[in-house]
Amino acid sequence: MNFIFTEDQIQFKDAIKSFLTDECTPKSIREGWEAKQSFNSDRWQSLLELGVLNSNLPEDKGGLGMDQVTLALMVEEMGYAGLPEPVAEQTFLINDLMPLLPSSISQAIEENYDAGAKYISIAHPLAPNPLFINNSVGLILFDSSECKFIAKDDMDFEIISSNDPSREIFKINSMKSTISSPENFEELNSAVSARGALMTAALLIGLAQKMLDLSSVYVGDRTQFGKPIGSFQAVKHMLADVSVRIEFAKPAVYRAAYSLSENNPKSALHCAHAKFMCAQAAELACKNSLQAHGAMGYTWEMDLHIYMRKAWSMMACWGNEDKQQDIIFKTLTSSSEELGVLYTF
Amino acid sequence: MHLLKKEMQISKMKINFTNEQHAFRDEVRTWLASNVPQRPLLSLDTNEGFEQHREWERTLNKGNWSMVTWPKEYGGRGLDLIQWLIFEEEYYRAEAPTRVNQNGVFLLGPTLMEFGTHEQKSKFLNAMATGDHIWAQGWSEPGAGSDMAAIRTTAVLEGDHYKINGQKTWSSRASYADWTFGLFRTDLNSERHRGLSFILVPLNLPGITVRPIPQLDGEPGFAEIYFDDVEVPIENLLGGDGEGWKIAMATAGFERGLMLRSPARFQQTAAKLLKLYLAKQDQCSPMIQAKVVEAWAQSESYALSIYHTASKMLAGGSIGSESSLGKIFWSELDHMMHQTALKILGASAELSQESRDDAAKWIKGFMFSYAGPIYAGTNEIQKNIIAERLLGLPR
Repeated sequence: MNFIFTEDQIQFKDAIKSFLTDECTPKSIREGWEAKQSFNSDRWQSLLELGVLNSNLPEDKGGLGMDQVTLALMVEEMGYAGLPEPVAEQTFLINDLMPLLPSSISQAIEENYDAGAKYISIAHPLAPNPLFINNSVGLILFDSSECKFIAKDDMDFEIISSNDPSREIFKINSMKSTISSPENFEELNSAVSARGALMTAALLIGLAQKMLDLSSVYVGDRTQFGKPIGSFQAVKHMLADVSVRIEFAKPAVYRAAYSLSENNPKSALHCAHAKFMCAQAAELACKNSLQAHGAMGYTWEMDLHIYMRKAWSMMACWGNEDKQQDIIFKTLTSSSEELGVLYTF
Repeated sequence: MHLLKKEMQISKMKINFTNEQHAFRDEVRTWLASNVPQRPLLSLDTNEGFEQHREWERTLNKGNWSMVTWPKEYGGRGLDLIQWLIFEEEYYRAEAPTRVNQNGVFLLGPTLMEFGTHEQKSKFLNAMATGDHIWAQGWSEPGAGSDMAAIRTTAVLEGDHYKINGQKTWSSRASYADWTFGLFRTDLNSERHRGLSFILVPLNLPGITVRPIPQLDGEPGFAEIYFDDVEVPIENLLGGDGEGWKIAMATAGFERGLMLRSPARFQQTAAKLLKLYLAKQDQCSPMIQAKVVEAWAQSESYALSIYHTASKMLAGGSIGSESSLGKIFWSELDHMMHQTALKILGASAELSQESRDDAAKWIKGFMFSYAGPIYAGTNEIQKNIIAERLLGLPR
């Protein structure tokens, strides 16, 4: 038992953090909103050149073969920065799915994919509106019984409006030609659901931390009654509550990631658990952060909502708290193992 | 240029037990299976129950299981934190009795090891391990609760002894305990946290009156202690005269550090809650199911967090204000779980903890769950600590 990060893992986390601090500022995100072009191709290109986009592809496919824990630590930072490009919840998902995909589909993808250089989007009943189709070369589509690949030119789509302007989401109206296969569907579907839950959980924990940090700074600066409002206990306690929730959601993310890397038979449960905890933490972070900002928190001008909006989306996609609750309940009640202390590890 | 090094190593994180750790678990399990009393002991807050629990401390000590984390030189097993967590898991799983000497084992023991003289260590540590000395806490006073620096009970040095006058209250276990430890004002001209000293006091001295206070459940889990010209030998001073605050802070850290004993308790409760729900599912709404899952999820997270912390500490890290986060989390979780249990129990929830109904245990736990957010520093104080020391908010 050694539930601790390696120096390498911390280095990856720090490296992506420092890149995003410079390249994914609130200003750059707002520029994307205004131009209605939140997918920043320059930043995407940099992420590709830095090796981030294909970090979890195997080495023989041009990746780093990165383990899930390191990946989760990096995704946490993408959440913290409010990164608009869907690296975590589309690119990393697809990278992980590649070995499981039916060969007809994986061939079609590899022809288009160019070792992660090209963007492919994904849609699933748990996240039905694919992102940035206009920037993609195609779409992987899950329905209730099979997995499909559709090249961009073979479908008719239209943009629909997300509550998070960083997320350009689409609706598919019709498809001309698809490559589809029911092969391996169950395994594929549970793999993508678990990973979707984990990726959004890791993003949420970063987003929650960002909202807490913004709030801590704000309440230290803003004065009323001649004092910083952060010196009032009502404000302190609100933010302390958020801090508690984040603290106890984080290890669930790291454990779920570890379980995936280790092919632990409980990994789907662990991913559901991570998402459940992170959704709860992020929900409280949204509520208490906005409250701590007072009326400023209710404005478009204040940066807080950049992160709050993404958190709302990430709570909703890839299984919300209620959905995860259901998965957890079904798993626990169908288990033949003794629950309690022996069930955890 | 690659930001991410190509020569990345495979993760050395390991979130499962080694063969040695499994073997240790088996050893604990085997011993507990043949030693945990078949019938539950009487409540430790009754005269007879207290002595039964003292006897259990003796039994534990005979098996060398009473002070497992103490270093071997003090008669412990010198277990590391992971082994300690495994021990606790098996302890709760076996439903072994509550430790009547928690104040001694987990609070005063480590404090003595750090601040005590050689004589003090040899006089007190072994007697603690054998159950001969059961310790009560003596911090709070009628005017000093969360504001502990407002302590007014005095200990005046007169030759080779301190003369103590004043009153302590909410003194856990004092109704039946043998000794108490606490803070006393030795410098009468001092204010706040200066001029306080940490003194060990036998509760059978002349001038001491212990008045048990019945708690919410009717049993005297704590007491008031009145000191009327009580003479305590100077050898009972722990650390230097006037250094009491510093030492008490270390002890308080151990108390919050007690979080390291807790995950098993909550994991087992969450598992029992699920069982209770499944037995009565047809009488409950889906809202209850969501709470039952939340209980499991949070207790699971709590355990993960503690193993994460324990691993960091084993790698040379330390915990400070972070332990305040844990205290809030587990105390709120404990209350939520028992509240949920009572909802599942329906009208049986009004039964008393003495009733023979299966509900009784939940009701006892429910009442006790109200104490969690108060003892060991109220949750409000913990939130101030988090806000000021972790989030950097102004005082």
